[in-house]
Amino acid sequence: MPETPEQPTVNQVAKLARIHLDEQQLTSSGEKLKQILEFVSQLEQAELPKDIEPFFGAIESVNAIREDNLQTSVPREKILDNAPESDGEFYLVPPVFRNTDS
Amino acid sequence: MTLSALNADVIVDQLNAGEVTATDCVQHFLDRIQVHNAELNAFIRVSESALEQAEAIDQRRKAGESLGCLAGLPIAIKDGICVSGQPTTAGSKMLENFSPPYDATIVERLKSADAIIIGKTNMDEFAMGSSTENSFFGPTNNPWATNRVPGGSSGGSAACVAARLAPVAIGSDTGGSIRQPASFCGITGLKPSYGRVSRYGLIAFASSLDQIGPMTRTAKESALLMSVIAGFDPRDSTSSKEQVSDFLTSLETPLAGLRIGVCRDHLNEGLDVEVKTKINDAISVFKQLGANIEEIELPQTKSAIAAYYIIAPCEASSNLARYDGVRYTFRAQANDLEEMYRNTRGQGFGDEVKQRIMLGTYALSSGYYEAYYLKASKVRRMIKQDYDEAFKKVDLILGPTTPTPAFKLGQHTQDPLAMYLADIYTVSANLAGIPAISVPVEPSSTGLPIGLQLQGRAFEENTLLRAAHQFQNETLWHMASPSEPWRTQS
Amino acid sequence: MEDTVLNPTSSPQSNNRRAVRFDDSQIIIGLEVHVQLDTDSKLFCGCSTRFGEAANSQTCVVCTGMPGALPVINERALELSIRAGLSLNCQIARSTKWDRKNYFYPDLPKGYQISQFDQPICGPGHLDIETSEATDQARRIRIERAHLEEDAGKSIHDESGRRQDSKIDLNRTGTPLLEIVTQPDIRTAAEAKAFLSELKLILNYIDVSDCNMQQGNLRCDANVNLHIPFGDEQIATPIVEIKNLNSFRAVERSITHEAQRQFEAWQENGLTIADAPKQTRGWNDHTQTTTLQREKEDSADYRYFPDPDLIAVKIEDSQIQQIESQLEQLPADLRKLLAEQYNLKSADASVIVSQGRGVVDYFLEVADGCEDSKIANNWIGQEVLRQLNESNQTIEQYPVSPQQFTDLLKLVIAGTLDQTRGKEVLNAMVADCISPEEAIKQLGIKPVDNNELVSLCEKLIDENQDVVEQIQSGNGKAIGMLIGKARKMNPNANPGLVKAMLAKMIST
Repeated sequence: MPETPEQPTVNQVAKLARIHLDEQQLTSSGEKLKQILEFVSQLEQAELPKDIEPFFGAIESVNAIREDNLQTSVPREKILDNAPESDGEFYLVPPVFRNTDS
Repeated sequence: MTLSALNADVIVDQLNAGEVTATDCVQHFLDRIQVHNAELNAFIRVSESALEQAEAIDQRRKAGESLGCLAGLPIAIKDGICVSGQPTTAGSKMLENFSPPYDATIVERLKSADAIIIGKTNMDEFAMGSSTENSFFGPTNNPWATNRVPGGSSGGSAACVAARLAPVAIGSDTGGSIRQPASFCGITGLKPSYGRVSRYGLIAFASSLDQIGPMTRTAKESALLMSVIAGFDPRDSTSSKEQVSDFLTSLETPLAGLRIGVCRDHLNEGLDVEVKTKINDAISVFKQLGANIEEIELPQTKSAIAAYYIIAPCEASSNLARYDGVRYTFRAQANDLEEMYRNTRGQGFGDEVKQRIMLGTYALSSGYYEAYYLKASKVRRMIKQDYDEAFKKVDLILGPTTPTPAFKLGQHTQDPLAMYLADIYTVSANLAGIPAISVPVEPSSTGLPIGLQLQGRAFEENTLLRAAHQFQNETLWHMASPSEPWRTQS
Repeated sequence: MEDTVLNPTSSPQSNNRRAVRFDDSQIIIGLEVHVQLDTDSKLFCGCSTRFGEAANSQTCVVCTGMPGALPVINERALELSIRAGLSLNCQIARSTKWDRKNYFYPDLPKGYQISQFDQPICGPGHLDIETSEATDQARRIRIERAHLEEDAGKSIHDESGRRQDSKIDLNRTGTPLLEIVTQPDIRTAAEAKAFLSELKLILNYIDVSDCNMQQGNLRCDANVNLHIPFGDEQIATPIVEIKNLNSFRAVERSITHEAQRQFEAWQENGLTIADAPKQTRGWNDHTQTTTLQREKEDSADYRYFPDPDLIAVKIEDSQIQQIESQLEQLPADLRKLLAEQYNLKSADASVIVSQGRGVVDYFLEVADGCEDSKIANNWIGQEVLRQLNESNQTIEQYPVSPQQFTDLLKLVIAGTLDQTRGKEVLNAMVADCISPEEAIKQLGIKPVDNNELVSLCEKLIDENQDVVEQIQSGNGKAIGMLIGKARKMNPNANPGLVKAMLAKMIST
């Protein structure tokens, strides 16, 4: 069965998910993850016919396609209204790097 | 009879007949909310403009204008559904101040029908949970016993309808989030077929499983709401073009000859004795109504929870990646971009949400797609095939909605797995995409509601509603309301 | 950041490596090209794709990834992708689906890009390019696949070092891109440029994209490494992905530079493809070098999975056939037509075709009309193209219609106008938007009769005895001076006739 989160580690998963967890949270999260992964890994035992196709939920019949027509965009003022930081033109975000190399 | 004791279809009739004004109607419910919401915490936010809207409806009615079929009816909407111009929070700190610049499709349709949105109801954060204890805005209490959970994630909507703070409400269901709270709160909750009701404007949890549905006292009110919200939406690629049946007119067709399947497995292990008894009693009622009861098997049910708890977190981990502090969410203090991401998501999300994102991220990560998501999706196909097979023999499948009545607040918060396992009867319908409804049966000896679930073929909501309606003609459990003041212990 | 040095600078191995010559190695190049499709609206929503608008003025709840918003695919993007695929000889998928490519970046609003992973809309194909080595033999560059995906927005980072916030503009998010990936079949920097030029030409011809790198609707990354014969083996250097290329010239130069850099690095440290993962280097146009880009914290794990908000698209055979039947002729077909049916040299045919369908059609009409494709080619390939270039016009804006041009050329062919006079007429036609007849009148062009010609030549000989003597003593070229003078005296004198008459008179 695929390894429970030692590889990748809980730390790595948290990083990939961009979620900061402190030491205690990492430990607790790791334990819960382990528990749940053990539980869901029972699917390993599920006997499936060789040629079974996965089912992804959506109705499979019709192409959902729209014509290449222009719709009015949301006015800039409105769309930036919820922005945590903006200069009225752009969304503002902290710079990528903490230190100013490269 | 006071207004809040009436069903929505009766209220609408009275409004149309001019026996009551929309203003008085809305005021009546606002007063009840004012008195009771503090204790229940069913609403995150009460609409500031509801009275104004009601007055406008009254004016238009006076002027002889033709109005929508729900004109003046107050309705509560789960706070995971976008209503423009006011906060839609999904029960999360992350979206505490998010004001959508648009209405969800179902909201547009309800507004076109001149319904009045009276408030946004509490929910488990991002719809992840079965108790509404995961809300940033605090838990909702079950009006039948306020030391118990109303269920989740649509707990606020369920409590609101049960406590008559609004005549009807809208919820959403991904693994049981309409039906389980309906069961715990003694009301009727319908999860439509996947694709039957537009998801445009529903804050996504698991895209291939989510559906919006009505939460009401009766099947008839459910049918009324469905006639407004159901139907194809070109803005949702997963929306079905399947013809919408007239849910209301078929309600009265007798059940004689209807074939109802019962899965013996579901009435054996782990099932609360009282639940088993009341479900069996209900089966007798259906027999009296002329239905034929047959035994069916759903062998893949045992894998359903595992499949669900892979698929849903995987999709959620991706759906929730957009909550990053950049464009419209809460943003945490940080020196640089990466720190901003990690702190925002660390602080903005609650524990359960973070847990499921971690699980989904892990299961989709390099090398694991086949073992988890793909495998679970194949099991999902098997579950669907189980239903296809069963529906060759029967028209409906009957069973309990939940293994037990409402549990106590705090009872399961330490053991997520136990909470997950209680979804055993509801997740399969989401996995297969079929419709399912929960209706109240006789409550437990301690007065806690118990729910019966009917599942039907895809796009045959009318059969479900018809069976539920006929059942509700014969029984009175759905009309019971918790007596006020609310009981605090049970 | 420096490359890891495994083997010290001077060692028996490194000395052996230094003995190898760069020219013995083979450059292996693969290109990843992102082409912005020419649709009115975005791939999954109805916002405009127009370039250059005010920041964040062309977005909506869908392309900014607001909670609850959902994507719906644009039918024209599908059509243009199929057209592009057909023009590149690609297999077109009968069932195609969408996948999420998950990563975090501020200009990626949903935290994932909707792209295609395992069922791209276009499968393997090829593009034949002409190389300078053998113009009669096309080099076949195989296309691995082409898939449809949405573009991200733009980030403007603070370059001042003062650590100001970055600015994010999401206008571009959701614009449809076709990502075309070649097999590593390209062998020289020149070939890479030729590939891109031909790709651009094709996509212009079939109205799929403008492919304008400066406007960002064609972007290219190059994957480069070397195969170096070393002893009995063939060593492969680590693959480098070159990014930040803003022009075809940059592509060419960066490949040349990178190949040399890789060779020298290998001589230095002996690292092979087995030793090091794929590197990303950015091209710096100022320094004309590639520099190592900061390594990402973790190698990208995109966690691809099928997008549950979108359903598969089924493409019918009949759909593909219809698109194919309406597909314009491709540049390669037209070059062939011009060479084989109009007897143009392949270089000349290439020039005409490279100017676009409008010029080709113009040429065809004129060549058919005056029944002399050689003259048509001379005039159009030189005069017309030069004039269009100078006035910055398209052929559609050119004031001389094909019919008028044909009339002009007929006069030249008949000898009524000589080359020089003919060009003067053309200039007048262009300047004043008039017909050849009107221009001739305006310029006062009249035929010169024989008597006039004779007296003109006699006069010339009289007044230029010294030149006549030069001619008589063997300097034939000096006659040119007389012809020049003849034209000054009478611009209508046909230089050819003047020359013949002078020659006759002088020799007798």
